[in-house]
Amino acid sequence: MKNLIIHTPEGFRDIYGQEMKRKRTLMRGFEDVFDHYGYEPIETPTVEYFDVFSNEVGTTPSNELYKFFDRDGNTMVLRPDFTPSVCRAVAMHFPKEGMPYRLSYEGSTFVNSQEYQLNLKQATQAGVELIGDGSAKADAEILMLTCDLLKKAGIREFQVSVGEVDFFKSLAAESGLDEETIEQVRSMISNKNFFGVSERLGSADINPVIRRAFAELPKMFGGAEVLDEAETFAVTEKSREAIARLREIWSYIEGTDNERYISWDFGLLSKYHYYTGIIFSAFTYGTGEPVAKGGRYDKMLAHFGEDAPAVGVGLYVDQLMMATRRD
Amino acid sequence: MRYLTIALTKGRLAKKTLDLFRKVGIAADGADDKDTRKLIFTNEELGVRFFLAKGPDVPTYVAYGAADIGIVGRDTILEEGRQIYEVLDLGYGKCRMCICGPESAREKLNSGEQIRVATKYPNIAKEYFLNRRHQTVEIIKLNGSIELAPIVGLSEVICDIVETGTTLRENGLTVLEEVCPLSARVVVNQVSMKMENERITALITSLKNALNE
Repeated sequence: MKNLIIHTPEGFRDIYGQEMKRKRTLMRGFEDVFDHYGYEPIETPTVEYFDVFSNEVGTTPSNELYKFFDRDGNTMVLRPDFTPSVCRAVAMHFPKEGMPYRLSYEGSTFVNSQEYQLNLKQATQAGVELIGDGSAKADAEILMLTCDLLKKAGIREFQVSVGEVDFFKSLAAESGLDEETIEQVRSMISNKNFFGVSERLGSADINPVIRRAFAELPKMFGGAEVLDEAETFAVTEKSREAIARLREIWSYIEGTDNERYISWDFGLLSKYHYYTGIIFSAFTYGTGEPVAKGGRYDKMLAHFGEDAPAVGVGLYVDQLMMATRRD
Repeated sequence: MRYLTIALTKGRLAKKTLDLFRKVGIAADGADDKDTRKLIFTNEELGVRFFLAKGPDVPTYVAYGAADIGIVGRDTILEEGRQIYEVLDLGYGKCRMCICGPESAREKLNSGEQIRVATKYPNIAKEYFLNRRHQTVEIIKLNGSIELAPIVGLSEVICDIVETGTTLRENGLTVLEEVCPLSARVVVNQVSMKMENERITALITSLKNALNE
């Protein structure tokens, strides 16, 4: 029989000995990078009101949140990630005149599902939010910071794949397809279904350039040539702006130590309305899932009554520990 | 060079898939030898290795990155619901996921009453009845010979794969509704797709070309 006094609940664990030492070294390394880039630490509570992570802003489905009630009957949750919490705190405490704010965080997140991150329900995240700066330079700063954090973690081979959500969104709007078809196309592109999109679109009556764009999107990831390819499909104002934006970001990264880690992926689409500009994931060997995710979310602050652009990244510390273990 | 690891579904799919790989110049010697006890087959020259696994385990190997690529039926992909890229429809292993039962069950199926559904695919059945038919049903998970369930009265209908329909007919059952078409798919781990982009993209493109020939 399971001895409930000795065991931890499934998905939760003790960390000690060499592993804990490694984790502490890793976190201290991250703190050095945060300091170097001028980010100030912030701590938000583990427990928040449910509304902070509601559907419009959250990336965690409601049934995967740990929920309970306070004395007044309000629904509370254990935070599934930091970004909405930090945005809420900024809207509450930080005057608009002082923007931009550079904030860094680290701590535990809780998701009641076995599908994520090594089946851990409590996972450590570290990351930053850059709030109040909507420029391409801010995007580039976050990408460079991500590369520097991964290098600091001792990872030598990794890739940061960068996409732009407006590129697909504006082409989808322009295509005139119904919502259900767009959703199916979106899911095929996200799944990198190389040939399924053209079959799905069949003889639908849409702009031939957009049709080719949709068919190519699952394959549109890689180096600088991908930006040129995307350009040939940019029939809308917004899609042209998206590419111009990525080129501007690249201009800040090109020639630095980090240029070899950056690649482009126009098939990186998010189900969530959360992201408004760039979106990115970082990958490395030794773990089957991304080790970091981030992007721009200019509408999130508005959810908390403040209107300001924001961009950030979160690193999955447990995944990183896994990826560096074999060295 | 790092090995590119490919997980194949044991059985009929494996043979067809190995033939296809041979056609694009990637031979895995010994993999289709029925008497072998070997689990893994390597092509040293191309840096590719294959292994055979049970269908439902293929998405698991791929999701964790233990295999870069997997070949598996769409039924298994839907049922397992793993975070993996589904990159190519191989077009073979074609069949349909269907709701079946005796003709007399059609009325019960549409009556809105609580019915029982026996299946090897509880997630697919649940998804179909909940989100597409907006109906609450009791799902009974079985591990084989699903057709037996309505005959002995375990359930009103079943949710199962139909290829030719012979088994159904021989047991007095019929297809009542189609859930979705199925076939063999190529799945790829998200990280491998990025880290080994060139090799994997080249492989998928050559597979697609071989299929079109």
